Amino acid sequence: MTKTRRTTITELRSIDELMSPEGVPLRFEVAGVGVRIGAQVTDLLLTVLAAFAVVVLLGYSGVDSPATLTAIAAMAFLFIRVPYYVLTELAWNGQTIGKRMMQIKVVANDGGPLTTYSLVVRNLMKEAEIFLPGTLLVTLNDKAQIESLIALAWIIAVFLVPILNKRRRRLGDLIAGTYVVHLPKPVLLSDLTQQTAPASEGTRNFVFLSHQLDHYGIYELQTLEKVLRAQDRRLSRRAAESRIAAEAKIVESIRKKIDYADPVPQEDHRRFLREFYNAQRGHLEQRQLFGDERADKFYKDELGSPARSDLER
Amino acid sequence: MEEPDLIRSARFRQEREADWRRLEELVATAETQGLHRMNFEAARDLATLYRQATTSLAIAREISLDRALLEYLEALTARAYLSVYAPQERVGGLIQRFLVQGASQAIRRSWVFLLIGFLCMFLGGLTGYLLYFENASWFYVFIPSELAGGRGPAASTEHLRSVIYDEDPSSSGLGAFAAYLFSHNTRIAIFVFGLGAFICAPAILLTFYNGLILGAFLALHADRGLGWDLVGWLSVHGVTEISAICIACAGGVKLGAAVLFPGEMRRPDALQAAGRDAVKLALVAALMLLVAALLEGFARQLVQSLDARLFLGWGVGALWLIWFMLAGRRVQ
Repeated sequence: MTKTRRTTITELRSIDELMSPEGVPLRFEVAGVGVRIGAQVTDLLLTVLAAFAVVVLLGYSGVDSPATLTAIAAMAFLFIRVPYYVLTELAWNGQTIGKRMMQIKVVANDGGPLTTYSLVVRNLMKEAEIFLPGTLLVTLNDKAQIESLIALAWIIAVFLVPILNKRRRRLGDLIAGTYVVHLPKPVLLSDLTQQTAPASEGTRNFVFLSHQLDHYGIYELQTLEKVLRAQDRRLSRRAAESRIAAEAKIVESIRKKIDYADPVPQEDHRRFLREFYNAQRGHLEQRQLFGDERADKFYKDELGSPARSDLER
Repeated sequence: MEEPDLIRSARFRQEREADWRRLEELVATAETQGLHRMNFEAARDLATLYRQATTSLAIAREISLDRALLEYLEALTARAYLSVYAPQERVGGLIQRFLVQGASQAIRRSWVFLLIGFLCMFLGGLTGYLLYFENASWFYVFIPSELAGGRGPAASTEHLRSVIYDEDPSSSGLGAFAAYLFSHNTRIAIFVFGLGAFICAPAILLTFYNGLILGAFLALHADRGLGWDLVGWLSVHGVTEISAICIACAGGVKLGAAVLFPGEMRRPDALQAAGRDAVKLALVAALMLLVAALLEGFARQLVQSLDARLFLGWGVGALWLIWFMLAGRRVQ
């Protein structure tokens, strides 16, 4: 049961591997359609504002026929929009202002640096993909129904392309060989094994024998890690009480599973969990070095299971 | 106090943590200021520390089960990778290289597709011309009424002449330039290129159709003895503009051909490979359309004599040809 839940989470986040030139695969989270539309709208607002400013400026300088002004507005929008996308992505390494705000970024799918060519292509294709049918849809009147339908079908097809492929690439991305990822945030949490638990005078250390550490795998270890990290968080009294109860439950089930005979008093629960974590991690890492990797507590999943690559993270 | 009984992966982390922190700082500066503005030591350290971090990541994946550490290293190396492998080119240099070498080399490389593009246009023109003389009502079939602007088989010769030699200052200048840019032909050029990527046929058909319009128009005026006058009127911007449509068609056909006949490659790869030149063709076509719009907006109404119009139009055409043929040749 736990296994299926884990795989759905990774599918939702859609992690993608990219081979760096150093030969170490790097993992990125593919940016979804929603985030990208958000970035796109921001960029669109910026360019429309700039074009509007230009038109207002020209409006004061004596051009007054509305037809001419519309044409000039469309031209100003085009001349601001096309260089805006290409130049910002060139200058900021695959990020427009909208993408910077959304913390997403264009990367090349062969792992190499972004080339000028690919940035030009993906943004020129944006013209053909989005803006051309978009303007058609806006400008066509109800007389030209067939054309409107074609434009509508075009837009739908263009939106289907990123939804249908795994890396959420639109047509321009496909031709340019790029895709868009979330910028990962490096946050280094402290190492749990280095935090010494506050051991009061006279308490004995917990000793775990090697056969007692043979029951759990990586998944259980990292779940325990999550529980231990949550201990530093400040909680309300009721939540703190329920946490103490949960910890007691965990301690009990671990004791039962590994056959730990001595009872653990309430005030030692945390220390027990920490020391068990240390011992278990050291043990599992040791086994892994010798090629005996253990994904989780189920024996059948030990080797060659599809979930293995997810768990190595 | 150094703990003697640290487990292996904790020791691993302790030894390298300072380097990772430093790399984190360097990546932050590289992202905010750009690599260009970093001093030598910082840039050098960034590259070295990045490579160390990739090694650390590879090792950590093998030896460490500390989820926090693994996630941190994943994020850090990914982030550093993105700033180390950022494109290092200046925009000015790029534009210069495109104008001096890239564009003309791409044009010369794709001569077959250009031939197809021009052939489509020429055959379309020929067909339109011949069909008009067979039956003048073909004109109405080919040409949408808003494009004809009152010109047609029913119009008087005087009217046709007045359109060609019309001095109307209000229709020149920026407004006309802008209006023109979004006129029929520009849209055709964009469509022709864009549709090429899907399959060749729409691009070829559209170009052919554009040729039909041209041919029928020419035939109408030739019928009234205004053939040369129309050629002059069209030449001012038409030499540039019609070539631009043909070049856009060539780019589109090139993409379409890559989809239809990918050869030894997979289709996406073939599309990507063909895209390199096709995009340059599209950019050249866009540049030419821009120049054509300038000529249309400003020059056409100013230059009224036939000879001058012919000279201007074909002179600009010759300049394009010189650029395509001579620029960016390697000295042997």
